Amino acid sequence: MASLRTLQIHSMLLFKPNSIWGSKHSEPPSFLVLLRPQFGSTNSARINSSCTPSPPPKFVLRAIDASATSAADDPRPHDQVVKTDPDAASTVKHAVAQLRATISAFPPVVFPNIKRQVGSSFAIGFCIATTFWVLAVKFFIGRRKSRDTPPGSVADLVRRGQLRSDRRGITRPLKYDDPFNNPLVKVGKSNSTVEMCGKVYRLAPVTLTEEQQAIHQKRRSRAYQWKRPTIFLKEGDSIPPDIDPDTVRWIPANHPFATTANDIDEDLAQNNVRQKHGVPFRIKAEHEALQRKLEALQGEQKLNKLMIDSSNAKDFERAFKSHPKSAERGDESFLNEHAGNSKATFPERPPNSSGITSSSEEMQNP
Amino acid sequence: MLSVRFIHSINPKPYSIPATTTHPPTTPFVFNNPKTLKPRFPKPKPNPLTVRSVLQWNRKPQLAGDTPRVVNRVNYTVVEVLNGDCRLDQALVRDKRWSNFELLCISKPRSKLPIGFGGKALVWLVDALKSRQEGCPDFIIIDCPAGIDAGFITAITPANEAILVTTPDITSLRDADRVTGLLECDGIRDIKMIVNRVRTDMIKGEDMMSVLDVQEMLGLALLGVIPEDSEVIRSTNRGYPLVLNKPPTLAGLAFEQAAWRLVEQDSMKAVMVEEEPKKRGFFSFFGG
Repeated sequence: MASLRTLQIHSMLLFKPNSIWGSKHSEPPSFLVLLRPQFGSTNSARINSSCTPSPPPKFVLRAIDASATSAADDPRPHDQVVKTDPDAASTVKHAVAQLRATISAFPPVVFPNIKRQVGSSFAIGFCIATTFWVLAVKFFIGRRKSRDTPPGSVADLVRRGQLRSDRRGITRPLKYDDPFNNPLVKVGKSNSTVEMCGKVYRLAPVTLTEEQQAIHQKRRSRAYQWKRPTIFLKEGDSIPPDIDPDTVRWIPANHPFATTANDIDEDLAQNNVRQKHGVPFRIKAEHEALQRKLEALQGEQKLNKLMIDSSNAKDFERAFKSHPKSAERGDESFLNEHAGNSKATFPERPPNSSGITSSSEEMQNP
Repeated sequence: MLSVRFIHSINPKPYSIPATTTHPPTTPFVFNNPKTLKPRFPKPKPNPLTVRSVLQWNRKPQLAGDTPRVVNRVNYTVVEVLNGDCRLDQALVRDKRWSNFELLCISKPRSKLPIGFGGKALVWLVDALKSRQEGCPDFIIIDCPAGIDAGFITAITPANEAILVTTPDITSLRDADRVTGLLECDGIRDIKMIVNRVRTDMIKGEDMMSVLDVQEMLGLALLGVIPEDSEVIRSTNRGYPLVLNKPPTLAGLAFEQAAWRLVEQDSMKAVMVEEEPKKRGFFSFFGG
């Protein structure tokens, strides 16, 4: 680098007088000359041809070639150029080709170059190494920071993409004590405006009076005559004697709930709802049934045949079958047990296992 | 804290009814046969994930693949309680934010109760909730299915107050009027209404009935007016209460005010009509 710089200075110093004296040739080829030695030769030729030939430019050229190219010490091409100068550009080209050939013929002398670039390459390498080191340190610090947040925390979830980060604004609940002095709802001084969420709304007083309300109630009582149904019957069922016919809700026979089996014990359900402690009824019943079966088997010394056959398993089967197929199967086995029931009546009236609930329709819950 | 009140809410419109969303949608586009889903071009290794992507994931989200799912916290419903599979306290789902706010699912979509049995069961349930050791709840709010059907009859059986939620359009108002009439026939006289999805800009342009018009048609006391707000859908989809949104939303504030009126047995004395243009200062022209 240093050598190049000195060369530049030299050339400038040497070319300046040229440019001053001969204004025709004041184009700035000096830097080109410096950087590209191939063109340098042509330039020098021009200089030599046009201006008064002076030894310093020649010297400069040589010096330039020596500094920039590997083939430095050979003065022959320059001399040749100088000699054949007044001919033409073809000669120049030829000379360039020859120069190239000469350069390629020389053994590669790269040591001085390497020696010169050692300093700069070391600086570049140092910069790269520093950059890598800084990056690595940043990465490790980042990893350590991410390790510090416990897994499952909001920050962690946001980092992993499980949570949207904009959701985090609403994790803190709003808190204020007096509900009728809500700071977020500001009523204007004249009670005619209210400000909510940065917007002002005009208020209009409610005009409904008690009389109007009473008129509406009267109108509705005339328009809608209704008694809440207390019993649901299928078409074809007979009305129980103690029930008002107006409170019967008739369910069409093809209603989906009318065809489903109904085996829920009302008293049992009531007890189940009120149970506060202990094992739930059904779980307990299943457990006891299993226990009984086990004891019976132990009594009969049939422990090696411990298997639950389907007929016995039905005793502690659940009343509500989530699967419709199992429900049908249960009903079928029930039918098989009760010989009196004919299979023809099965689709219309499935038998009641509990026999307590009279209305056999079922519904979906509210 | 120990005052007992059974609140019954009615939604003539299916907009805010969770029951409609809990039912699995009909799935005419779900392909069960994997052979039909294979791509036409022969692949060296058929990837099952590609088959998944062919399924309409928006229609059947349970098949959608790697999307993180919200764990369903409802394990037991009232049907299991009645059946003896679990106790009542086991079926109550406690809210994550308020420990004294609990949810009880009445039934899974496929489970069935006898029609005449639902009302009675609901009365037992309310009695059991009132006699809990933790104390009687302040409010028991029963969400009523839309329409006037068996579900409506079941839901109003234990109720002694009602909140009617309606939108300011004529079809909803006719339904709401009928529902109000049936409630009054059943002896529930304390009925208040919430007008939902109100748009002040449409009211100003006379494209929507104003809240006062609605009140004139139904003759009910106003519990609240909920403006139309996109935050409602957003918070519903996120599963986060609207009233806890920060910054507060207009609809959330309106809900909160309505809740306080319910607590205080109050009703609205004035309603928001339209947005008033803000008074601009002298220097507002210059951006001040």
